[in-house]
Amino acid sequence: MWGHWITTEDFFMHMSTDLLSKINVDVTFAAFSLFMELNILLSTPNSDARESHRNTAKMFIIICVCICISTVFYNQYLKESKLNLNSLKTKKASSFHEFARSTNDAWDLEDEEDEDLVSASALSLSKNKQPLHSSSDTALPRSQPQDQTDSPQDRSELHNGTMVQSSSDSDLSSAPRPLSLPPRPIIPLVARISDQNSSGAPPMTVREKSRLDKFRALLSANNTDLDELRKHSWSGIPREVRPITWRLLSGYLPANRERREHVLQRKREEYFGFIEQYYDSRNEEPHRDTYRQIHIDIPRTNPLIPLFQQPAVQEGINDLVTPFFVVFLSEFVEEKHMENFDVAALPVETQRNIEADSFWCMSKLLDGIQDNYTFAQPGIQNKVKALEELISRIDEDVHVHFHRYEVEYLQFAFRWMNNLLMRELPLRCTIRLWDTYQAESEGFSHFHLYVCAAFLIKWRKEILSIADSVLSLKDSSIADFQVLSSKEILSIADFQGLLMLLQNLPTIHWGNEEVGLLLAEAYRLKYMFADAPSHYKR
Amino acid sequence: MATAPYNYSYIFKYIIIGDMGVGKSCLLHQFTEKKFMADCPHTIGVEFGTRIIEVSGQKIKLQIWDTAGQERFRAVTRSYYRGAAGALMVYDITRRSTYNHLSSWLTDARNLTNPNTVIILIGNKADLEAQRDVTYEEAKQFAEENGLLFLEASAKTGENVEDAFLEAAKKIYQNIQDGSLDLNAAESGVQHKPSAPQGGRLTSEPQPQKEGCGC
Repeated sequence: MWGHWITTEDFFMHMSTDLLSKINVDVTFAAFSLFMELNILLSTPNSDARESHRNTAKMFIIICVCICISTVFYNQYLKESKLNLNSLKTKKASSFHEFARSTNDAWDLEDEEDEDLVSASALSLSKNKQPLHSSSDTALPRSQPQDQTDSPQDRSELHNGTMVQSSSDSDLSSAPRPLSLPPRPIIPLVARISDQNSSGAPPMTVREKSRLDKFRALLSANNTDLDELRKHSWSGIPREVRPITWRLLSGYLPANRERREHVLQRKREEYFGFIEQYYDSRNEEPHRDTYRQIHIDIPRTNPLIPLFQQPAVQEGINDLVTPFFVVFLSEFVEEKHMENFDVAALPVETQRNIEADSFWCMSKLLDGIQDNYTFAQPGIQNKVKALEELISRIDEDVHVHFHRYEVEYLQFAFRWMNNLLMRELPLRCTIRLWDTYQAESEGFSHFHLYVCAAFLIKWRKEILSIADSVLSLKDSSIADFQVLSSKEILSIADFQGLLMLLQNLPTIHWGNEEVGLLLAEAYRLKYMFADAPSHYKR
Repeated sequence: MATAPYNYSYIFKYIIIGDMGVGKSCLLHQFTEKKFMADCPHTIGVEFGTRIIEVSGQKIKLQIWDTAGQERFRAVTRSYYRGAAGALMVYDITRRSTYNHLSSWLTDARNLTNPNTVIILIGNKADLEAQRDVTYEEAKQFAEENGLLFLEASAKTGENVEDAFLEAAKKIYQNIQDGSLDLNAAESGVQHKPSAPQGGRLTSEPQPQKEGCGC
């Protein structure tokens, strides 16, 4: 099937006609290639066709994303049932099931806002009280009715429409999961998303409370003042209001409060319309091969797997949609349960809404960083160059050090740009980072550069000390190494040490505080350099 | 890492290439960590690992560049071929297409490395015998026709993983010994712990002896 896919890809590289032909398995990359194609389409005069292509592409990305995500959650769920989790956990899970059932159709934005206004309690709890209107989305048909006809290779990821619930998913990974997992370190996935949230034990400080109040006031206004909202979001959004704030900041929800429900409904319908449209064609050439290819690699490409299996490797997240998904999911799950949460336990409507919302917000994000993912990734290359230039201005020591040991910026910063530091930071930090990115104009594209610079400088001591330690070792042991007067070996040793450091920066315990400092430094750099471009453009 | 930086005589640069999903990162991980990583995230651009091995009593540090298999990263990954002493070209024995693409990988490897670069072909996922799609014999023949070393290996069980890296190292070392690999040549991919300071990147010591260190 790979062969088919490649053949198709090669074919379409020449024909350059089909948007979906280049889709790859990794969702992020799928997105990238689509936008590669979109660049061609953007020159298409017919704007309708352009829009429709673009949407098809985005929709497709998100299908992949959501298959991935729900597969993982489901696998996790299976694993846990097998593991005979202790009764406490089981109890929690079942009570969540009940809770989920009882709130089947409660996901309504207006209610949510009201809740926000009247109660400081966690949203997920407050949901319980208000299963008000039935969601209008229920009118939508399930989008993929004919999946039983999938070819064997397709396995069954899409059995329940857009969200995976088939048990055969777990078979997809050729490697059996370990039967006994190591004890889970207590590094909460999202517990530190916002240290000031109200759902945990620690009581809010007055300051946090007043911040939350400010957000609630802004959000409940008839016309939310987006500038003001951005201003406040820059330094972090309280967990309770993060989902709706993200929807507003990404432009997915209108500032006008009365229109929100309508827009939300329309957008979600539109999204599932895309899916239906695409899904119907999934067995047509050439989509079929693309589609199969997505299935093959889902188990390994899903960055969440390591995340949920062993939090120690949280930097393995490479999926740009994950933060959106987790944040929107946080409306329904108490954060302490998040890691072990089984998405399939959520009502289908809720799953669908999370999926649609993630899709639209992801679209918005990708719009801003398209040139990162077009052919040869010029956006990334340029940003890496800009980073190098910037570092040479702000920290000559580090720059010279890299140069001396022949470390190229591309060797580590490519990934920083390509994955928006998601592989370098725990997910909770990425989410906090994205509060600011969404509040900052050109946050994901331009400001990210300064964040990367601040991030690099953050490690300057470690970076410079690698050389120092080797040099001192050289000095102290020079008698044993008469032959080592050459700097050559030194530089080799340092090169390797530096790269190992730069590819494994110890951020696992980072939380809001560290990200806050990072952002402050990035802001300072931007203030100094961005507004005076000649400072860093030669 | 600064504990004993010089207890090796050579540094060999390796690259690992091949289609996406054939198990390049898993091979590297198995080799450096002796563990199988079941859910390995995609490699972005290039990642880096090292390990010290021993060939004929010489300690050799392998400096291994694990490249992303995805086509879209080729522009970046190609820049890492330069100066590789060894290349592990990996395919997946259960997916014929990854085998079919070998000629394109080989072309890249030949064009972007020097003629002395030792290329070893590795058929990974040898543990999945039931799903085998490429026979040992045909791959062996392909390797012979193209002058490649060849092994089937499994990053999952660890079978032949050590050997894959070692065989290539032995061959490189042999090339150094018989003088066919000129360490003076730029981009030989081998760096020798020098017995005397030399200008430039590489030092000439075609007949290395044990040096007075922790070797």
